[in-house]
Amino acid sequence: MAAAASVSKSEKAFIQASLRAPDALRADGRTLKDFRTVFLETGIAPLANGSARVNLGKAPHEGGGGTEVIAAVKLEVEDVENGDGVDGGRVSCTVLCSPAAYPQLPANSLDDLQHDYTTILHQTLSHPTLHPSNLGILPRKKSWLLHLDVTIVSDAGNAYDVMFMAARTALWDTKVPRTRGVQYAARKGPAPVIPAGDASMDVDESGAPTSGFDTRRIPAAADFELPDYWDEGEVLKGRELWPICVTLNIDLPLSYLDATPAEEAATPLKLLLMFSFPAGSPPNLQGMRLLGPGEPQLSQLKQFVSEGESYAKELFKALEAKLRDEDARRNQKARDKFALR
Amino acid sequence: MVSFASFAPPPDDYDAFEKTRHYHDVDADADMDLGLDVDDDDEFASGSKLTCPGETLTSSHAFMRGHGTYVDNDEVIASVAGTVERVNKLISVRAARTRYNPEVGDLVVGRITEVQPRRWKVDAGGRQDAVLMLSSVNLPGGVQRRKLESDELQMRTFFEEGDLLVAEVQAFFADGAMSLHTRSLRYGKLRNGQLVVVPPALIRRLKSHFTSLPCGVDLILGLNGFVWVSKHVKESEQEGEDGFDAEAVYSNRNDDIDDATRTAIARVANIIRVLAAHFHPLTDAVLLEAYEWAVEQECSVKDLLQEDVGAALVAALSAQS
Repeated sequence: MAAAASVSKSEKAFIQASLRAPDALRADGRTLKDFRTVFLETGIAPLANGSARVNLGKAPHEGGGGTEVIAAVKLEVEDVENGDGVDGGRVSCTVLCSPAAYPQLPANSLDDLQHDYTTILHQTLSHPTLHPSNLGILPRKKSWLLHLDVTIVSDAGNAYDVMFMAARTALWDTKVPRTRGVQYAARKGPAPVIPAGDASMDVDESGAPTSGFDTRRIPAAADFELPDYWDEGEVLKGRELWPICVTLNIDLPLSYLDATPAEEAATPLKLLLMFSFPAGSPPNLQGMRLLGPGEPQLSQLKQFVSEGESYAKELFKALEAKLRDEDARRNQKARDKFALR
Repeated sequence: MVSFASFAPPPDDYDAFEKTRHYHDVDADADMDLGLDVDDDDEFASGSKLTCPGETLTSSHAFMRGHGTYVDNDEVIASVAGTVERVNKLISVRAARTRYNPEVGDLVVGRITEVQPRRWKVDAGGRQDAVLMLSSVNLPGGVQRRKLESDELQMRTFFEEGDLLVAEVQAFFADGAMSLHTRSLRYGKLRNGQLVVVPPALIRRLKSHFTSLPCGVDLILGLNGFVWVSKHVKESEQEGEDGFDAEAVYSNRNDDIDDATRTAIARVANIIRVLAAHFHPLTDAVLLEAYEWAVEQECSVKDLLQEDVGAALVAALSAQS
């Protein structure tokens, strides 16, 4: 990996020996399958349609430290006929790395790293199986373009998992504005003439509509409007499906989770597994990457995938609980607090 | 396996910082000009006056601005958070979080970043990379010998990129970069342990920065905030005890480390992380007390990083001192 921290040979040997010891104990006392504490917050960017900040491994009450990732979703209207829009909307992901997160990297290798991150995130999240069904506005005319921008503010190891967690949280938090189709309909026939002396206010039900605007949803609608409504819109359809990533750091034959930069530098192989968990059906493996110079056997790989699935499930459950918690905090509790004032 | 938490909310007295605070009563400007020397000696000389960016320190008519301050509207204002220091008429603020400011004679731990002709570049947490000259390291075959061309050609056999070393600040170059030396049998390459990095302000100056805890752990508290935690090596077995053994000094191989020592190393490293997170100064005595507390409380190595355990540890330490 380009982003590897520099460690000396003896540090490397020390880390590898600690991992291989019978009751493995890592540099900060974790076991092989322990994650550091994840701090998570949604709705940090008021102008975005959905946003999240995730930090892995900082000390509580410390300002800095840990791997920090900020993700934000912005929806943009695209024209399908004349612009580059796609019927039904599309998803585009970008990852930015702050130079402060990788002070040891020169500018061009930082670009390479950003490109690597962007490719993995975009290929996984823009896959048709995950596409939210409510990104269209007007069939064959207008659709939403979902921009997911992820910034890696600092990297203290395991950036991929945190990046996917932040992306999932921001997409979970995303609200799609409600739209209503609008059409201009020219009146048929001559304007109704009100006969003199007929002053009754009865509505003429048989005549043509008196207004040129009709705000009912009509397939031939040419444009749309945003109805004024109390909330920001509806959540993305199928938001439970967004995948999470589990990185297995493999130093054959053992594997462990959530590596620190020094551990990453001492481990030859990383296996990224992206899983999504549709309700009521078995988990889907949405993506998989093997990074590093190590060479695993196919049979070992199979075992790692099934191992990764169980970790991903645990991680998914914990994240899901936290996300529902955040939803409650931002909606219900905020309203209660407002009522108290 | 994984636990989630929310970010800590801003402190309750968050609003307190919104109203302007002045170091002096602004109304007392007249007093300030008159009774300056008498009043302010106590205030600045005590050295414990804390300030934060934007806080007015004093008038620029009577004082000169030093590091960490700027002048606006005839007032000297702090630009960093830290302690106010005064030398005669010069007011400066020493930042609490800053890069390491080297001084000659300091013991530092650093990491080699580059091998250059006749010198190594060392990252020691300063503003610039430090320099370790080939002429300031011990070479095999006697301490007092001339450097040969063959030494220049095999510099990587002594130190290569990524290697950690302990050294002393020898001098400064014209551009302010520090020059290190390892011409002592106690200095040189580090092995058998792990590195913990803390803010340099937390490392107190001690009689000896090499300490060993009774749990079989050696500590090197670099003044640049790099702390090396390693397995204890007996005095008599230290390299170069009888003569200079280059094989051992520049070796990359670790000794065998048993599980108990490994646990002790991890525990000490976590204690240092917790103390750094609470911004508690580190000395050998503090670390010893903290280690005893951790063993007494029978908390596992991992639990030390939990918020309540860390707070209890720091509370116990401040109660004792």
